[in-house]
Amino acid sequence: MTPLASIASAVLSVTPWRLERRLEVDAKRAALTRIGGAVGAMVVVGILLLLTGRNAFLIFWQALDAIFGRQRGIEGVALRGIPILMTALGVALSLRMKVWNIGSDGQFLMGALAAVGVGIHMDGPGWLVLILMAAAATLAGAAWILVPALARAYWDVNEIITTLLLNFVALQLVTWSALGFWRDKEAAVIQSTREVPFTLPGLPGANSVTIALLVPLAIAAVLWWVFRSTSIGYEIDIIGGNPRAAGFAGIAVRRRILIVMLFTGAIAGLGGMLQLSAPGAQAMNAGFSAQFGLSGFIVAALAGAAFWGVIGGGLFIASMFYAGIVLQTKGLSVYIIFAIYGVILTGIALGEIAARYRVVRRDSADESGTAAGQAASAPQGAGS
Amino acid sequence: MILAIIENAFLSLIGSAIPASAVVMLAATGAMLGERVGVLNLGQEGLIGIGAVYSVIAVLSWGVESPWLAMLIGMMAAAVAGLIFAVCVVAFRASQVLVGLALALGGIGLSNQLGVNRNGTPIQTLFREVNPGGVLDNNDALSAFFFHDPVVYIAYVGLPVVLYFVLFRTRHGMNMKAVGENPAAADAVGVSVTGWRIFYSVLGAALTGAGGAYMVLSFTPTWSPDIARGRGWVALAVVIFAGWRPGWAVAGALLYGSMISLDTTAQARGWGLPFMGASDLSFFLSMLPYVVTLVAILIPAGAVKLGRRVRSTAAPAALAIPYSREER
Repeated sequence: MTPLASIASAVLSVTPWRLERRLEVDAKRAALTRIGGAVGAMVVVGILLLLTGRNAFLIFWQALDAIFGRQRGIEGVALRGIPILMTALGVALSLRMKVWNIGSDGQFLMGALAAVGVGIHMDGPGWLVLILMAAAATLAGAAWILVPALARAYWDVNEIITTLLLNFVALQLVTWSALGFWRDKEAAVIQSTREVPFTLPGLPGANSVTIALLVPLAIAAVLWWVFRSTSIGYEIDIIGGNPRAAGFAGIAVRRRILIVMLFTGAIAGLGGMLQLSAPGAQAMNAGFSAQFGLSGFIVAALAGAAFWGVIGGGLFIASMFYAGIVLQTKGLSVYIIFAIYGVILTGIALGEIAARYRVVRRDSADESGTAAGQAASAPQGAGS
Repeated sequence: MILAIIENAFLSLIGSAIPASAVVMLAATGAMLGERVGVLNLGQEGLIGIGAVYSVIAVLSWGVESPWLAMLIGMMAAAVAGLIFAVCVVAFRASQVLVGLALALGGIGLSNQLGVNRNGTPIQTLFREVNPGGVLDNNDALSAFFFHDPVVYIAYVGLPVVLYFVLFRTRHGMNMKAVGENPAAADAVGVSVTGWRIFYSVLGAALTGAGGAYMVLSFTPTWSPDIARGRGWVALAVVIFAGWRPGWAVAGALLYGSMISLDTTAQARGWGLPFMGASDLSFFLSMLPYVVTLVAILIPAGAVKLGRRVRSTAAPAALAIPYSREER
């Protein structure tokens, strides 16, 4: 029994209820407690803002107004949602087999870099170049995770640090391209690569959002179907649950890990291309990825690797992101958003734990001569 | 002539590699301390930021005039963050990966926010190099190795020696390792797994905070956003490379540091290659520390897989696994 649970059960011992560990955690309830954790974290953030003399309610209202009060706000959320959703889908896919791909930022950047390379060096009809850019980005994203994936699959090297270290390499490479080998020599002020002359067609009725928004939705649908209806998805879930058992069941665990990791990289890489093909974002500089990978990671954690949950969580985080940009004009820095991210992620992790306990009414059988605290813990102790 | 140039370059590489990776050394020791008792703290990057920014605040806003006191304040701030982390993951048994990443993100965000008005303000309260009786004057070779401030000696010599002694020569160290390897057994002999894990992850966080403090009190020495620049992640990699052994962390940290100083030295001297100009080479070299660190992690695992005999480089068996008496 954890101290939290001990305290809770001590408090409850004077009431007719007691705290009990669940033998099985229901996925739906876990999702609810994760969301509860995130919301609780935002309340904590609000209190902290109040304590530092900022009107949290006003800030919250202004953020809501900035997002939903006008079309520009909604489109702004959608624009930021695309890269966040793509990296989140990649991370969620790897989380299905308990692999933590923290390098989606790097894969995202490499995808965009490959797309820039194709876009500024190729002549031809726009649609063809865009397709080739997407293909190059997908391959580059997969290639960027190849070494961590091989190391994880065949050498059992933990993927968290290896994928993350490559983020820094990718960032340096992008900086190099923007200031060095692909630098736009015409634009003296902003140091970035040359601009890709093509953009994806816009969505009907939208000013700035392109059909790129449909890609993460389509990928989420495909992944949802793969995990609901195919044996491949089922096998991946088994590996996530118990890799040893999966091996005994005849699943080629190592090869599956390799392939799934390559796919997660590919999705993130394609996300880089989608971001690049939005009007006004057609060149790369060192700030091309505003920590989209980490945002995507939080989304995947919030959604618990459920693909439809990723869409909802992604739009939530994207609106926070957009609100953060708006709030900068109100005297808060962009950094505060990352601090808030940290609190939210902690809330999600705590919410995940809360799903494992439930409060039940004490029946007389439990109380036969034992103290309340022991009554709460004894049944599980015997059970395991 | 050429020999003199090479010697000169080598000494300046060493001379800057040692302080460059002192931060990594402190953070790696801090991370290793927690990991030895089974707590993986991925938040090193954030802890470095918190340690650094509170040292800066102590010096610039609170008028602290001793670098030691400023470092202590940075360490205490990081320890508070480490305590929040430890309570979440040890007491409440939340996912160490999630909360660790939350600490990395939150720590970077918080420290950048706190430092936002202090960007680039030079720090005057600095650690001074140790030079007893001026023995190091006019001796480049000795200076490269030994003309450093006391924190460097603590990081490279003091901490590894103490940690090695405690871990491998004392009963206390036996218990620490038991908590990290087999918490149920440690629990059975009366070692409080929860208590030890919280204590050592807080102590580890304080050490990482000292690394951040060292950055701004000696190495940079000024505040700039994202001060850690990946050093926290490199420190975690160094722990893996070192196989959780304190002495080997020195080698790992110096490997990283020499790559960093190769970059800065090449930049300062305008080195170029026949096929690569000075600026391109500098961009290339700035990727190298992370690439080399990545390769370094692969070495122990690869050596094991390829059948070489490697002494106990495996992670503590209970690393990142929450312990619960009722579930063992």
